[in-house]
Amino acid sequence: MIGSVSRICSVSAAVILTAAALVLPGKPLFAEGTNHPDSRQIVTIGGSVTEIVYALGEDNRLIARDSTSIYPAEASSLPDVGYMRALSPEGVLSVNPDLILMLEGSGPQEALDVLHKSGVALADVPEAYTAEGILRKVRVVGEVLGVSPKADALAAKLEEDLAEAQRAAESRTEGVRVLFVLSTKAGRILAAGSDTAANGILTLAGAENATSGFSGYKILSDEAIISAAPDVVLMMDRHGDGDEDASGEALFNHPALAQTPAGKNKRLVRMNGQLLLGFGPRTAEAVRELSNHLADTAS
Amino acid sequence: MALLSETTMAGRNGRLSALLGLADLKHGDRAPLARAVIVLLAAFTCLVVLASLAIGPISIPVLELLPHVPSYIVGAGEQVPDGVSARDWIVLMDIRLPRVTLGALIGAALAVSGAVMQGLFRNPLADPGIVGVSAGAGLGAAVFIVLGNSLLAPVMALLGIYAVPLAAFGGGLVTTLILYRIGTRGGITSVATLLLAGIALGALTGAITGLLVYVADDQELRDLQFWGLGSLAGSNWQKVASAAPIILAMLVSVPFLARGLNALTLGEAAASHIGIKVQRLKNLSILLVAAATGACVAVSGGIGFVGIVVPHLLRLTIGPDHRFMLPAAALLGACLLIAADTLARTIVAPAEMPIGIITAFAGAPFFLWILLRKRGLTGL
Amino acid sequence: MLHSTIETGTALTADLVVEQVSVSAGKTWIVQDLSFHAKAGEVLAIIGPSGSGKTTMMKAMTGDMPYSGGIALAGLEVSGLSPEVLAAMRGVLPQASQISFPLNVAEVVGLGVTGGRRDRHFRARRIAEALAKVGLSGFEGRSYQDLSGGEQQRVQLARVLCQVWEPIPQDGLPRWLFLDEPVSSLDIKHQVQIMRLAADYAKRGGGVVAVMHDLNLTAAFADRVLVMQGGRRLAFGARDEVMQAGLLSKAYDFPLEILTRPGGGRPVIVPLDNG
Repeated sequence: MIGSVSRICSVSAAVILTAAALVLPGKPLFAEGTNHPDSRQIVTIGGSVTEIVYALGEDNRLIARDSTSIYPAEASSLPDVGYMRALSPEGVLSVNPDLILMLEGSGPQEALDVLHKSGVALADVPEAYTAEGILRKVRVVGEVLGVSPKADALAAKLEEDLAEAQRAAESRTEGVRVLFVLSTKAGRILAAGSDTAANGILTLAGAENATSGFSGYKILSDEAIISAAPDVVLMMDRHGDGDEDASGEALFNHPALAQTPAGKNKRLVRMNGQLLLGFGPRTAEAVRELSNHLADTAS
Repeated sequence: MALLSETTMAGRNGRLSALLGLADLKHGDRAPLARAVIVLLAAFTCLVVLASLAIGPISIPVLELLPHVPSYIVGAGEQVPDGVSARDWIVLMDIRLPRVTLGALIGAALAVSGAVMQGLFRNPLADPGIVGVSAGAGLGAAVFIVLGNSLLAPVMALLGIYAVPLAAFGGGLVTTLILYRIGTRGGITSVATLLLAGIALGALTGAITGLLVYVADDQELRDLQFWGLGSLAGSNWQKVASAAPIILAMLVSVPFLARGLNALTLGEAAASHIGIKVQRLKNLSILLVAAATGACVAVSGGIGFVGIVVPHLLRLTIGPDHRFMLPAAALLGACLLIAADTLARTIVAPAEMPIGIITAFAGAPFFLWILLRKRGLTGL
Repeated sequence: MLHSTIETGTALTADLVVEQVSVSAGKTWIVQDLSFHAKAGEVLAIIGPSGSGKTTMMKAMTGDMPYSGGIALAGLEVSGLSPEVLAAMRGVLPQASQISFPLNVAEVVGLGVTGGRRDRHFRARRIAEALAKVGLSGFEGRSYQDLSGGEQQRVQLARVLCQVWEPIPQDGLPRWLFLDEPVSSLDIKHQVQIMRLAADYAKRGGGVVAVMHDLNLTAAFADRVLVMQGGRRLAFGARDEVMQAGLLSKAYDFPLEILTRPGGGRPVIVPLDNG
């Protein structure tokens, strides 16, 4: 019977797992900003945190990462301590870390308790799906690693870069209604509402989230899809969403989607999930890529 | 030469069969064999526990550490014993020992619950899942996972980390009571009605859980998902403390049901004819199983198949006599779950795999095999 | 005076007394106003056509079915006795017995060995003795589920015998055997063997109540016969009074003839040809 619980959950939830680190708000677990300038055995949890450490040039201090940390490619060669929400305390301890730098929402709490008790330093990096949120992440990571000057420089560069990408995007994407589809399992469209990374990136790119009327990810009814009237459907690329049927052809055979402007014109944009939803150093690049796609398809 | 070796073999076989009580088998007495198997299982359980304490991503000197454990527990101290690495000590005391303890308790409880349910329903495929106990417990947990931050926030604040386990336990018990009211008329429980009601209630709780999935936010969905797969990750002494009293009480009282469950093999009427208070037997069995399953589901989520596989294996080796089957099931269930969990936390180290996946991989084909065999025997 | 009191008392407590018993299923009466009695030391056969309420009456007597009226075993109302007390007073052989798990023969029979008699060697001996009585010596290690229907029936009888081994144990109270169609799935040799076993149990002081289909076996082994029809008592009395061609023909609504064999053997009941 638990089987049925997990079956039902898995229909909508399993797919989200891959994007998990990207979408999650949560409560801060430990005080941010404690300095650990001497840590040389660091485990990063959360793709964007790992990217920031690499961008700061501090990756020589990394010894392991979580399964959502797959960029840059070198990160993949580090030991993987598992999914950021299902950390195994012994697994993490086995790589002998002196600091765990983790994105807000990592867990479970029981694992963090044991890690804390074993004397490993834990540092929490707050998540937010805005440009300011990215800069804050960079500053927090820099502070924790004791490289604040470098972090400030990186943040300044990113701020400029983001602002420029936004400016360039706005004129080209204004008024484009985008439906972000996380999965299409069993013909059910799981779409992003407000308070999601997808909503955040669409806002940065100057486009309009076609389904901002609810919070989080929800399965849409056919009528909701039609009334959302998206011009473009945005999805993560095939690698990662595990969805076999979401090729454009099959997607727009969906009876409700076919009724929308996106369906009529077969406008589907696919982007790398980590790039699109990571809210890290590459977000300006994501904004540019997304707005290029949107401008192409919208014209 | 050939003759000589044959007689030697015969002599050796004779001694071995005497040891295992195989000689008694000819007279239909499987008790000596069952006792020998239980002793072997007990020894094997000790080995598995030791191995599981020793194996893991971090290698620790278990044999050096273990002697410090009793005095540490008695002293209830927070001090790491002298001459012991603090990290090794934490790995043993805060990670592996609570995990192995919880694994043993839950493995034993799942296997014994399965055996009792099968005896009660006179069906080797019955399981606490079937009467809806697990489904109810699952719903209880899902309600708190999803509504704990909003509607039920005050309760959540009051119960803290115990809220979800308690809700699972309560859900299991409430489901059982509802089932019981449906299935019992005039003081007599109809097993067929109970089974059917269990299936219906399972569907209903599944639907409510599905409804919760719709209102859940992403984090809640993920909690639901991981919880549903079943895992011993996150075992700590608090969880041991919350589950152990219920499970131990069940394990201690269940041998008193053995004679009644044996008699029930003949059918309810015949059991009553040989002096069993059948209704009381049914009440006690259902209550014990509901409580233990609720406790298991609460701390470890849905770990499937242990309750079906273990009793079945034992019936094949020592026979269905519950006087021996129940203790043997507790031991074998503990062994198997600890072993599966050791696998779960080492196979993809330093990450780990939900144990429910491993038990399902091992258990589901086995379940099918039983089904096929049973179909062959009874035209099921 | 004293002597007669003891006589009366013994007679009362030893008997099975059924008075004005009715059993209903919903609004229909399956057994209605039925009265009879059985004595320890005798075999009482209950006969009658299918659907006449024999098995239902049996279930009321074994405590499996609620009834109105009175059923007293050894002077005690059956409906007020716990399963444990009843189990000490009587054994019940059901019509057919499927078991749910692969017990072997010794384990099935052993379920009848109850009370303080848990000693292993005692159990093994008792099981062997009981199996010998039903002609299944050496079957201990066989799987019950692999036996033929007739063998299973005999194994169950061995189990029931173990439960009430002594027809009159030291407490002086006769024990009872309730047998629901005990020979229905047996061949003729074992039919006779099992009926002899039942008759012997009665001869040694126990009480036997058997629902019977076979009129010839009834005529051969019953001391007393209850004939049921439509849930009511059609006739009740000593075997020779009841086993009459006219009465039986009426009971079964079919012409029957009773042939007496030369040499004074048991009468034989055969259907009358429509000649």
